[in-house]
Amino acid sequence: MTDIATRATRVVAQTGGRRRRLNGGGPRAGVIVAFLTPFFLPFVLFYLVPVGYALWQSFLVVRRTGGQYGTSYTTFGGFEQYVQVFQNHEFWASIGRIGLFGIVQVPIMLFVALIMALLLDTPLLKAKSFFRITAFMPYAVPGVIAAIMWSYLYSPQLSPVVDLLKGIGLQPDFLGPDAVLWSAANVSTWLWTGYNMLIMFSALQSIPQELYEAAKIDGASNWAIAWQIKVPIIAPSIILTTVFSIIGTLQLYAEPAVLRQISSNISSTFTPNMLAYAVASGNNYQQAAAISVVIAVITFVLSFGFMRLTSKRAGL
Amino acid sequence: MSNTVTRIRFAVVAAAAGTVVLAGCSSPAPSDKASAASCEPSKGKVTLQYWNTVPGMDQVVALWNKKNPDIQVQMKNISNDQYGTIGNALKAGKAPELAQVGYDELPSLRTQDAFVDASACSDATAAKSKFVPWTWSQTSFGGTGVFAMPQDTGPMALYVRSDIFKKNGLTIPKTWDEYAADAQKLHKADPNLSITFFDPNNAEWFNGLLWQNNAEMYKYSADKWHVNVESDQSKQVADYWQKLIDDKLVRTDLAHGSTQMYAAYQKDQIATYVGAAWGYSMFRDNLPKQAGKWTIVPMPTWGANGASGDWGGSTVAFMKGNKHLYESVKFNTWLNTDPEALAMENKLGGLYPAASAGLKLPALSEGVPYYNNEKIFDVFADSSTKIDTNFAWGPTQKTVNLALQDAMAKAAGGKGKITDALSAAQAAALKSMKDQAIPATAGK
Repeated sequence: MTDIATRATRVVAQTGGRRRRLNGGGPRAGVIVAFLTPFFLPFVLFYLVPVGYALWQSFLVVRRTGGQYGTSYTTFGGFEQYVQVFQNHEFWASIGRIGLFGIVQVPIMLFVALIMALLLDTPLLKAKSFFRITAFMPYAVPGVIAAIMWSYLYSPQLSPVVDLLKGIGLQPDFLGPDAVLWSAANVSTWLWTGYNMLIMFSALQSIPQELYEAAKIDGASNWAIAWQIKVPIIAPSIILTTVFSIIGTLQLYAEPAVLRQISSNISSTFTPNMLAYAVASGNNYQQAAAISVVIAVITFVLSFGFMRLTSKRAGL
Repeated sequence: MSNTVTRIRFAVVAAAAGTVVLAGCSSPAPSDKASAASCEPSKGKVTLQYWNTVPGMDQVVALWNKKNPDIQVQMKNISNDQYGTIGNALKAGKAPELAQVGYDELPSLRTQDAFVDASACSDATAAKSKFVPWTWSQTSFGGTGVFAMPQDTGPMALYVRSDIFKKNGLTIPKTWDEYAADAQKLHKADPNLSITFFDPNNAEWFNGLLWQNNAEMYKYSADKWHVNVESDQSKQVADYWQKLIDDKLVRTDLAHGSTQMYAAYQKDQIATYVGAAWGYSMFRDNLPKQAGKWTIVPMPTWGANGASGDWGGSTVAFMKGNKHLYESVKFNTWLNTDPEALAMENKLGGLYPAASAGLKLPALSEGVPYYNNEKIFDVFADSSTKIDTNFAWGPTQKTVNLALQDAMAKAAGGKGKITDALSAAQAAALKSMKDQAIPATAGK
């Protein structure tokens, strides 16, 4: 069966992967500038400058002249803020918490998304567009609203779900010290599964039908087509959604921040981003900047590490 | 498809490279301190900016503007992000003339050089006698300066469901010991009934309880802050609530002001509420069906110490860069002492005045229908006079509050004790002050 998959990739490489080379005798500089400015101006203003400012801030420390109510100023402090980040056990606890969250939540979410995408792609399913839209709908709900909605379903005072479970003799505590991380994970999964499914589904849609015909002639079952043709071909999409999910996990903020309103089991340092926000609200912008930079570096390392690992394996 | 991955990789590398280039910028040099403020009246018409979070304040300002054509006030509601907005404006050098600042945020903002001293204006220093004593010691930082004028306060009291008390044969507790005994009896009578709830994520409330027990957490002397969050007085309060939690006499699963909290009260699961003056309208508006069931009595006390506590309240501060101090003092004094203005603020914004005369407003000496027509404000007025005037907030209060909350939440979840939370708060206070280069030391 493996040769079906190899052949399939080769076909895709030949059809979709063909590129047109740019003609020589380059266009005038003015045209290039005109086309690039609409992108580069906001990119520089709203991306590079803030990131650069944060990096700059992270190397500063606050000093003060004239005692307690004297004048404060900032000065270059080298890696002082970074030393503090690395010594901050709350920070590493939040990274650990989010690591556990990611290891469990991301595979579950992507697996469910993949199954849903494959189901939508089978000719057997009726009312496809209905299912596609329904599955995608949660993504249209803003994260904060979703978290508020779920917080009502988790709350022991108000939730019909809790009442129902109590009715059959269970004692659920969705907001308890051990459960609350998974309650937040559930909100993320609900929000993002449809989105990831859609990315995978659109990749499936671009697979040429001839491949399936060829596979069927070779005697492949629907099951074999799904797992040995479709999944390998859309592997880059799966990798992409994984990278997005890793980034999203490390930047987790809205769901736990909303659940914190009703559960004291979510501390102000629950996720790395919440910690950075708490530090910034305490007027320590330099430390918050250093935390943000470290989060960014960890995100880069994890996403690139994952891409490297998988692209070698998949031979991409 | 692998092209997509490559493209992302390129974008990220480009972004990373960009940050390195920009990191070369230099840091700003220390700036000169603003010169001492003078109090000369301006010539001609003056327009003042006033930022606040009080509902209905626009109507109060409109009244002033009608009466004072030469000192016009423009107001902006900043309740979305009060301190974020003020902090950003300060950084940009665009602070308003006047802004609403809570008592607990005054030292923090002063440390950021946010205020001007209006004591050059004789009207400002003369206003001292018009306010409840503890409020003025906060706005003057215990000195002779006038950095803000007190606006409202939150003297604390005990809200009691008299019907639940009657049904279970309880008497109104005068001391915290009696309160604990009542809690015990209530729990015995009905395990689903709690005397109150302990919200670990509400440091402001807990600080009010510490204040009541004369736990003076911060003192400024000899050019240094003395941080004493872990005092014997604090520990007494912490141990008290720890015992109530350990014995399962108080709920720990309700956040203050949440729908869940009101639902628990609605379902008759909780018999009292340890609250502030501004809470009276919360219960009236959110639990209309419980009209006539509530009464308000003085806070239980710590033995012979008859002190009360304060939870919340705000000031109107003179902000850095204010070029119209004379006019600002005029407006600020009117806003916070004039009976007509105070009555409007009380009616529209629910403010409980910081001005002594305000406590005798007609609206505050009448019976309140929701509370059986009892004169509940007499209780708050009495509480207001029994608040420790030496209590001071720290210059990094927000950070300390977060540390206290996180550790109290652990204690409520059975990991550690509330006294550990006091240690965590003490450590956070010293560390955050060191981070801000504020001279500090542990102990009295």
